[in-house]
Amino acid sequence: MTLCHNEVHLRPRDQPGQSCQSNLVTIEPAPAQLHWRTDYFGNPVASFALQQAHQSLTVTATSRVERLAAQIPLLSASIAWEQVATRVRANGSDDTWMARELVLDSPLVAVFPELRDYASPSFASGRPLLEAVADLAARIHHDFAYDPDFTTVSTALSEVLRYRRGVCQDFAHLAIGCLRSLAVPARYVSGYIETLAPPGGERWRGADASHAWVAVWEPSLGWIEIDPTNNQFVAERHVSLAWGRDYSDVTPLKGVVFGGGSHRLDVSVDVTSIGAGHA
Amino acid sequence: MSETNAAEPLREEALRLHAEYRLATDRFDEMCASNGELRSHWTYLVRGLEALGPVDFDIRCEEARRLLNESGVTYNVYSEQATTDRLWPLDPLPLLLTSNEWSHIEQAMAQRAELLDLILNDLYGPQLLLRRGVLPPELVWSHPGFLRPCVGMKAVRAPQLHLYAADLARTPDGTLHVIGDRAQAPSGAGYAVENRMILSRVFPSLYRDSSVHRLALFFRAFRGLLGRLGPRGQDNPRIVVLTPGPENETYFEHAYLSAYLGYPLVQGSDLVVYEDRVWLRALDGAKPVDVILRRVDDEYCDPLELRGDSLLGTPGLLHVVRSGNVVITNPLGSSILENPGLMAFLPQLAREILGENLHLSSVPTWWCGDNQGLQYVLEHIEQLVVKPIVPHASATTVFGGLLSTQERWQLAERIRSHPHLYVGQHHLALSTAPTVANGGVEPRPLVLRSFAVASDGGYFVMPGGLCRVAPRPDVEVVSNQLGGVSKDVWVLASEPERQVTLINTVAPAAQLASESDDVPARVADDLYWLGRYAERTDGTARLLREVLGRLLEVERVPHDEALPLLLQAVTAQTATYPGFIGEGREERLHAPEGELTGVVYDRRRVGSLRYDIDAVVRAGRSVRDRLSSDVTRAINSLNRELARPGDLTSAYEALQRIVFLMAGFAGLCSDSMSRSQGWCFLQIGRSLERAVQSVSLLQSLLVPAADAANVSALEAVLAVAHSIKTYRRRYRAQIQLNGVMDLLFVDETNPRSVGYELAALEGLVASLDGNIGARRSAASRLALDALTQVRLFNQETVVESGTAPLVPLFGQLAGQLAMLSDELTRRYFTHAETPHQLVRIA
Repeated sequence: MTLCHNEVHLRPRDQPGQSCQSNLVTIEPAPAQLHWRTDYFGNPVASFALQQAHQSLTVTATSRVERLAAQIPLLSASIAWEQVATRVRANGSDDTWMARELVLDSPLVAVFPELRDYASPSFASGRPLLEAVADLAARIHHDFAYDPDFTTVSTALSEVLRYRRGVCQDFAHLAIGCLRSLAVPARYVSGYIETLAPPGGERWRGADASHAWVAVWEPSLGWIEIDPTNNQFVAERHVSLAWGRDYSDVTPLKGVVFGGGSHRLDVSVDVTSIGAGHA
Repeated sequence: MSETNAAEPLREEALRLHAEYRLATDRFDEMCASNGELRSHWTYLVRGLEALGPVDFDIRCEEARRLLNESGVTYNVYSEQATTDRLWPLDPLPLLLTSNEWSHIEQAMAQRAELLDLILNDLYGPQLLLRRGVLPPELVWSHPGFLRPCVGMKAVRAPQLHLYAADLARTPDGTLHVIGDRAQAPSGAGYAVENRMILSRVFPSLYRDSSVHRLALFFRAFRGLLGRLGPRGQDNPRIVVLTPGPENETYFEHAYLSAYLGYPLVQGSDLVVYEDRVWLRALDGAKPVDVILRRVDDEYCDPLELRGDSLLGTPGLLHVVRSGNVVITNPLGSSILENPGLMAFLPQLAREILGENLHLSSVPTWWCGDNQGLQYVLEHIEQLVVKPIVPHASATTVFGGLLSTQERWQLAERIRSHPHLYVGQHHLALSTAPTVANGGVEPRPLVLRSFAVASDGGYFVMPGGLCRVAPRPDVEVVSNQLGGVSKDVWVLASEPERQVTLINTVAPAAQLASESDDVPARVADDLYWLGRYAERTDGTARLLREVLGRLLEVERVPHDEALPLLLQAVTAQTATYPGFIGEGREERLHAPEGELTGVVYDRRRVGSLRYDIDAVVRAGRSVRDRLSSDVTRAINSLNRELARPGDLTSAYEALQRIVFLMAGFAGLCSDSMSRSQGWCFLQIGRSLERAVQSVSLLQSLLVPAADAANVSALEAVLAVAHSIKTYRRRYRAQIQLNGVMDLLFVDETNPRSVGYELAALEGLVASLDGNIGARRSAASRLALDALTQVRLFNQETVVESGTAPLVPLFGQLAGQLAMLSDELTRRYFTHAETPHQLVRIA
């Protein structure tokens, strides 16, 4: 009898500045087959089913990723944020096309007036988009407590906003909601960050588990990623796995389990730098 | 009184369908022109009905109600507490359409289906319509029916939209408009057939002489289509009908269609995915499924890739579709076509894609997602119907004209915040048709649902359809949930046509219980419990009848010695403790009426008679497609008994009827059902329960009666087991323990004995093992062991030691029967356990 069906987003997707050189997903107990395909948003996704009874299921993804040093764009050089709404409607490249879809509500991020109220202090009239976004991320970082005990996957965004606490996933959803409330396209990025802090640096939040951040669309620069949990533009210490409208599109490990009473899910992540500078 | 008397003779004179028909001035009427003249195609029917006279007409209407009732045609109405079955309401007057008008509808339906099919293919394929801006992408992206995991799935073959339905409405100028598209799992075709079956029986000659187009060709085309859908083009694909289950609004239709078309009716949990295929969990092993005709909404079909909270689906289903190993019809994702916003763009799309204008236009629609549409809707909100593009609890259809200024302002705010989620549509004044109501005939607003099925490179349109009328003349919303009434639709042929039918039209289709031997394990389980609860109902009713008979007897025996023992047997048999056995028994034994009323009527009390009846009805519903229509009818009649709390006198009358009904049920199970494996489980349930009941009765009544030398109670045992006459004939003596044990325990020729039931049970259970001589299964060994206990019973021990050896014997048998039931459950009914989502720990 089939006991569980699963879907995993655990292969880092190639994108500018990042290429996945090897990726191995091993599953214990081993399923008969592992099917890889590309999902709607272009992410690699694998599905498998287990037919034998099992006490535990272990999914291990090992990837070697080349990450180029990212240049933080000049914030003041970006377009005024109000213009994004009109630019996104001008059908152009595939990129613009995708951006247009990412202005709309998604299963976990539906826009409501308080999101716009929260966002507006950062979005003064005519302010360059990236400046405003950086300010928004800084405010989220400052205003919200990082509290893994407060939220679950099903905690509504309105609760997060009301109690001002949550985890990376909530802060990403919050930032996305704020941006979409202003008709600025935003997507959810699932990924990892380097586990150990560089010498003298601060250890980042979200390093022990799956991490998540936001990408915002700037018409001439493309998608710019920012991590509100750590108040950082995304750079070489971040590795992206997949992106979508929100968490529900890119859940790292999703599954339906038959029977077996209660279950528990543990996640651990280890990201190690294996040297810089090689081509 | 004098008024009624004066009116009666008038009504006797003639039925005045036409003369007393009061037309609404501002609507088109289907029967009468605006000057009140009959339209010519209605003349024959109206004159024919009038010629019947009011008395005969009333008799026919009553006959229609009786037929509906007996066939158990129902739909479920959702309310806060529970879903309830309502009788399907059918108006005896059909809606008539001329051949000419119908050809126009036929052409328009085929065109619209073709257009929607091409749109569907594009949206889940190249998306050129979106990229070229013919269709605004926001309209598609923000509709939950657009299933992103389905984008890029290759269709096995075109067309993809196999079954399509549209709701049509006629405006005052006489033109028809499409007011709704049903594209994922259109319902109503089954009700249309049922309506036709009934009207053609109620008005046989009027129906025959009106030359009405028949519906059977439509279903023949539908069957033909499904037979060709197999993913590998095989000749005999295994086809199943997927239903959300008995709680669904149109479950009756799911069961009806699956029986009519001859495919097994399954629920999501009856299917399982492994090795890239979908399998039916059948009794005799897993069977690969090739085609799924679904009546489950597409978002709910796969909890892995679609809605994670769905308990109706089958995890992994999408993967099998993607692998090309199963075809689901209509394909997952087709509910995007039900988006009313699409209507605003269809004329343009028809020109772009087909190079044609639409033969039937949609109700004028403005989508608020573009500025022009938004402006129009906000400015004309009072004249419009505002709809969300997807209906859900917090956003329903509203009539702008019925709102207060403040409500209108709030609606405008909601639209402005998410404009692409709303449309505004013209408020159409629906046409009316004559409907029987309030002792006469009045014009009621109507909507006509028309059906099309893909066939031979085009679409075949049902020559007829399902008409629904509003519950009151002034109500604009036509919905079964709100109390609407249905009508048959007669398309009048200009020339007679060949007789075609899938089955003999005279016999109700549901009589054709599915002959397929693919019995899902869940179905076997439900049939088993149907058998058990039916016998439990019977046993409890017989015991209670004996008790109430004694209690209510006019010349009641002042000190009925048997009564206290019988009352205790009631508690033991129904397990409604403490009752007459546990704490507080003295008071209850002294005044048993209150407790007995509860044991009869209280459906919330586990073990009560009404509780058992509910269990019969529930089990019967979920295997409806497997039961003959007579069995279904018997269950429906049973469900009408003890429906409301009453007193013990009316309970006694009901008990008489229930015992009679259950005798009928038993006979029908033996006579009107084919000997399938499913039947076998129904009979196993019945035999096992009867054995359990008999043993329990002997234990709780015979043993104490014999101990107390209570002759009256011994007699009662025989009475409950319906064996007094046999006893007297056979033993011609005072009733004694020895004789009672012989008759009710050992004698395998007495259908009321434990031995008889165990012999039958052993035979049935052994037949599950397959070939004679095969190794006995654990269940079969348990059944044989129980039977052997009875056969080896030595009657001398009773003569010598009285009841002493009986107590452990009955205890042991009861234990064996319980183990047998558990073993059957373990071996045959292993269900899918409830699926859970893995969740991330924050």
